[in-house]
Amino acid sequence: MFSKKNKKNNDPTKTLPSTTVQTPVTLDNLKRVLANIDEAEIIERQTNNGQQVMLLYIRSLVNLERLNEAIVEPLNTSSHLTIHEYMISSKVSRMITLEEAETHLLRGNVILYGMDHEEFWAVPLQNTLSRSIQQSGTETIIYGAKDSFSELLEQNITMIRRRIPLMNLKTESFTIGSISKTEVVILYIEGITNPDYVSIARKKIASIDFDQFLDSSQVAAFMEDHKHSVFPQFQETDRPDSCAFSLGIGKLVILVGNTSYALIAPITFFHLFQSPEDYFLRWIISSFLRCIRYLSFIISVTLIPFYVAVTTHHYQMIPLQILFVLLESRSKLPFSPFWEAFLMLITLEIIKEASLRMPTKSGQTLGVIGGIVIGQATVAAGFSSNVLIVLVGISAIASFLVPNYEVTKSNSLLQFILLILAAYLGLFGILLGAIGILTHLNALSSLKQPYFAPVAPFYLKEWKDLFIRAPLPWMKTRPEYLHPVQKWRMSRRR
Amino acid sequence: MRWIHAAFALTILSGIIATTGCSPFVENNTIEEIAPVIFWSLNQSDDRHLEISTLVPPLIHEKKRMLTLKVDLQKQGGKEFNLIYYRELKPGQLRVIVINEELARKGVLPLISTYLMDTDISQRLYLIISRGNFEEFMREQLNEQANLDYFLYRMLKHYEASNQGEMSILNLHQFKNKLFSPYADPYLPLFEVKKINLTYKGTAMFRHDKMINMLPLMDDQIFQLINNDHYLKLFAVPSSDVILGHVRSKVDIDLDPSYKNMTIKIDLTGRLEEYRGNKNLHKREDLAKLHQDIEKYLVSRTSDLLKTMQQWKIDPLEIGTRTLHPFSKPISDSEWLNLWEKMKFKIEYRLTIQPLVNVNQ
Repeated sequence: MFSKKNKKNNDPTKTLPSTTVQTPVTLDNLKRVLANIDEAEIIERQTNNGQQVMLLYIRSLVNLERLNEAIVEPLNTSSHLTIHEYMISSKVSRMITLEEAETHLLRGNVILYGMDHEEFWAVPLQNTLSRSIQQSGTETIIYGAKDSFSELLEQNITMIRRRIPLMNLKTESFTIGSISKTEVVILYIEGITNPDYVSIARKKIASIDFDQFLDSSQVAAFMEDHKHSVFPQFQETDRPDSCAFSLGIGKLVILVGNTSYALIAPITFFHLFQSPEDYFLRWIISSFLRCIRYLSFIISVTLIPFYVAVTTHHYQMIPLQILFVLLESRSKLPFSPFWEAFLMLITLEIIKEASLRMPTKSGQTLGVIGGIVIGQATVAAGFSSNVLIVLVGISAIASFLVPNYEVTKSNSLLQFILLILAAYLGLFGILLGAIGILTHLNALSSLKQPYFAPVAPFYLKEWKDLFIRAPLPWMKTRPEYLHPVQKWRMSRRR
Repeated sequence: MRWIHAAFALTILSGIIATTGCSPFVENNTIEEIAPVIFWSLNQSDDRHLEISTLVPPLIHEKKRMLTLKVDLQKQGGKEFNLIYYRELKPGQLRVIVINEELARKGVLPLISTYLMDTDISQRLYLIISRGNFEEFMREQLNEQANLDYFLYRMLKHYEASNQGEMSILNLHQFKNKLFSPYADPYLPLFEVKKINLTYKGTAMFRHDKMINMLPLMDDQIFQLINNDHYLKLFAVPSSDVILGHVRSKVDIDLDPSYKNMTIKIDLTGRLEEYRGNKNLHKREDLAKLHQDIEKYLVSRTSDLLKTMQQWKIDPLEIGTRTLHPFSKPISDSEWLNLWEKMKFKIEYRLTIQPLVNVNQ
């Protein structure tokens, strides 16, 4: 049913529809454009055979060493009839309009103006300023590749291409943002990824109309099907191996210029609990760790609300031994269980947020303050119970077990919602909240694909890579819910 | 259309809330404001009145005191306790009910019906019978041991779990099932209270809801073996100067079709833990003789026990359930009791003892 829809491959709208009238490029126009830009340089040169050449570029965007090697030296030493013949670079392109010239200048190209023939040529000599390839900061693993994306788009594509050396790995480039002119690249494997996803992604990117994009999450915000949800509908990763794996099973990857995070889509809720390491470790261990992650998510969302529910409404349910501890611990506190939990959670969020923003050395001090002062001292002062401190600790640690940072963040919000429901309605409130969350998850979609697959809609075969990670040789097919063009992962089928 | 969807969703939500039976008027159960009672002791005050006692504050390391009230009804006691104590006493965690022997002999049905009907009270509630002044004992022990009520509960829980084979522990649910079954009679543990001692004395036997008598410790051991736990950690046979350990039994009861004769075959396995007699256990003949002596003793004690049960017209072993057959009309409980009273029985013990010493062939 799905594959019947949108069979026609729509032509990509690769650039934003321009509202400006196209102006022919002239030297005067270019000089006007570059006026009042301090690092803009306009240099006049004469070639070996006496031709007059003008070089126009923005100094901060151009690699000056390469400018000498690729342009200045050939002009001085060689003799050619036309300007573009001097250029060593293979990507020399001729420009007709002023808009083209502006784009090239802003991307770090040098514009050559042959005064004799009145031709404008663009030579790409971008200053490739970027940090070196480093280890992933958000998705660290013990085994497996350690490299992660940087802010350089070309470099990021290279890292993926090295892992998938296929001509079928297609890239489609778009420019979005009227101010930032951000380059966005869709990557997919032709013959595996469902063309409908590519077409949906193209349409979504083409319909983006905004001025500035400084991070891939901003692009995701415009592409998401459900903008008001706390759950991410695009997986953000800075790991090229994650991207390569996703491409291999039929997803598409969106890379955004000047950001080190790629977007993967379509995803399901369960993909957010999967780590690249799951596929490197032995399957039993991976399955166990994956189950622990799901359990941790449930603990992090429901443990504190559960504490509030039982201490406020359901004292009958507490095992006597635990009730003994709870009564002792809570007997002299000034706050009700709800306010006690609420204040502790708010404090924890403040500490978490502060530790992210503070410099590393101050962060250590913050850990001491958070752990000792907030933890021990609040109990000693009688503001909080020992039991709650233990539960808050368990809940906070459990929230970090989910590999996806965005889910970790959404945990806190869900926890507060359930906390309020638990305070007023007890366990029934938690149940009601859980039903609400499940209903919401069921209603979500990522690139128009069901977010809660393979649970709903139900794909029994895909459960082998859901709560457990079955042995790799058993995973002979790509996930059915991704509707890949090529279903089988093996080239020789028996 | 949007409003229609919202209205539809709200209707479903209200429906869900309504069908759960949740009340919009909730009780304040915040744990620091309440005192969950874990035990009540019931005594006969006079012909009309009950004496109900509990310890406050329960479950907290604070100075405890005993509250005792003379009331007509148990719940009245529950209510009046609140008027003399600063925290609200709630029965949702009630775990132990101590019923005085005198009261138990008059019948416990009106008492336990109260607990069975209260939805707050769990049926995992231990019932015990006390002989002597339990309240006095508690008052005496308050200064000696903190949280006495809690430890009483832990003791009962310990002996209930995994059939420890020492006491006949029953909870409210099990007691109720035996009480309302036509082929069973309930029983409860009986503790004797002396000034500073609380001693397990045996099993109190009930005919319907009234306590009839108590099985003394020796009979109680046999009862544990053939019915309650089918296990005894230690089993003393004083006539043979021997103690058997880790004794497990497998009981096979066979009724003849006329329900006039019964054969009980009991396979008993255990090991010789201690022996202080004159026999040389390294000799096979002496060991065989000891076997025979123990078997004889067991047959005689079991026979006495069954005769006692027949005299008391009770069937705590639930032998009557063996009269039930598919596609046949069950006999009435009075009919069964008549048959049971007159029933002749044959008891066979097959003893397998590991001597834990080398035995010469």
